[in-house]
Amino acid sequence: MNVIETRNLHKHFGDLHVLKGIDLTVAEGEVVVIIGPSGSGKSTLLRCLNFLEFPDEGSEVLLDGEPIDPASNNLDKVRERMGMVFQHFYLFPHKNVLNNITIAPENVKGMPRAKAKEVARDLLGKVGLPDKEKAWPSQLSGGQKQRVAIARALAMDPEIMLFDEVTSALDPELVVEVLQVIQDLASGGMTMVMVTHEMGFAREVADRVIMMDDGMIIEEGEPAAFFANPTEERTKTFLGQVLHA
Amino acid sequence: MLSSLSQVVDMHFFAFLRATGVTLQLTAVSLALAVVIGLVFAFLKLSRNPIANLLANAYIGIVRGTPLIVLLMFLYFGISSIVVLTSFWAGSFALAIHAGAYVAEIFRGTIQSIDHGQHEAARSLGMSRRLSMRLIILPQAFRRAIPPLGNQFIIGLKDSSLVAFLGVSEIYSTAMTAAAANFRPFETYLVAGLYYLVLVLIFTALVNRLELKLTPDRRAAA
Repeated sequence: MNVIETRNLHKHFGDLHVLKGIDLTVAEGEVVVIIGPSGSGKSTLLRCLNFLEFPDEGSEVLLDGEPIDPASNNLDKVRERMGMVFQHFYLFPHKNVLNNITIAPENVKGMPRAKAKEVARDLLGKVGLPDKEKAWPSQLSGGQKQRVAIARALAMDPEIMLFDEVTSALDPELVVEVLQVIQDLASGGMTMVMVTHEMGFAREVADRVIMMDDGMIIEEGEPAAFFANPTEERTKTFLGQVLHA
Repeated sequence: MLSSLSQVVDMHFFAFLRATGVTLQLTAVSLALAVVIGLVFAFLKLSRNPIANLLANAYIGIVRGTPLIVLLMFLYFGISSIVVLTSFWAGSFALAIHAGAYVAEIFRGTIQSIDHGQHEAARSLGMSRRLSMRLIILPQAFRRAIPPLGNQFIIGLKDSSLVAFLGVSEIYSTAMTAAAANFRPFETYLVAGLYYLVLVLIFTALVNRLELKLTPDRRAAA
């Protein structure tokens, strides 16, 4: 069963053709890592999956096999089912850690406050921050912020998680704690699509690696083979650059 | 001079006290209305509807482009030719319409200053546009609006003195009457100035406390 599927996904920003016909499937429980040079359309693809960006007319995005039509579907309901974590965290600075996590379940799902707190505390335990529920975002390190952001997305009990370069804004020593949380999620069977520059992580955790360039998927495969024997010249060049950086 | 000053204070103590009450009422009513007007026009200006934009720009442009005293007289005679209003209410509405334009720009600016990522994060959690505005954007925008709003409120408090020309017995008008009676305009206007100064200082302290109260995260981080 595919959780997410795109067919002939195109996206223009004005004259700029950012995505040029992406066909992507993500099966239940699968961990898909997208790599590629900056400007290749990775983040835009991710943002088209939950309609933070609207794909061009004629593109198809299916969630659990059902086509999503922005004209007739309630996109808020669609987004509820997909968690997203951003490069720059975007925690809500006027809410403490606990309320950052409870605000969506309470106000979107109508979950009772007590239940939402229970869910939030459980998730804070899972991301290794059980003692931070009363802290304010401004008091947290980048790695802690990102772990709260992951907990916040998980609190909506999504079917799939989208990670958009979630370690790119972190100091190097804080990357590990965030990747560990994501790896735990993957081991727990969470379906996820992750845009990242962490090749080591991709190799270890991904079920499938996708290489994008110039708005197209140019190569994909299971990680061992992908990294050992890339077939495309552009993949080789890109891997050469990032692995020897 | 000190003795003549204290004479003036003594002589007009109750008149100025009453007048202070009127000034505070004028300020409170006009600024409360201005916040409502400001919020509505901020949303009109941020709207994607061109007619709403036009309306907001016209209102803000006209108010900012004309002196308050002109607007005050124009609205006073305009309003009183349609409905019978006391000069207090006519003055309050005029002050509100004036301050509302500036408040609208303050709200528009602070709403726009909130990182778009905040809105996207809210939407990614399934919040509607409206819910994201109410729970995520506006609370942050209000907090940022407090210093410029406090500033605008101080201006509003002092602008209320112009309503003296509509015959409302607030501080400035009381000073004019008193000075004409006691032939000590220097001392009298000095007293009036001190009344405004004290009010503004109290008000500033209140705004500072409100800002601190509304930013618990900054208190904790400090």
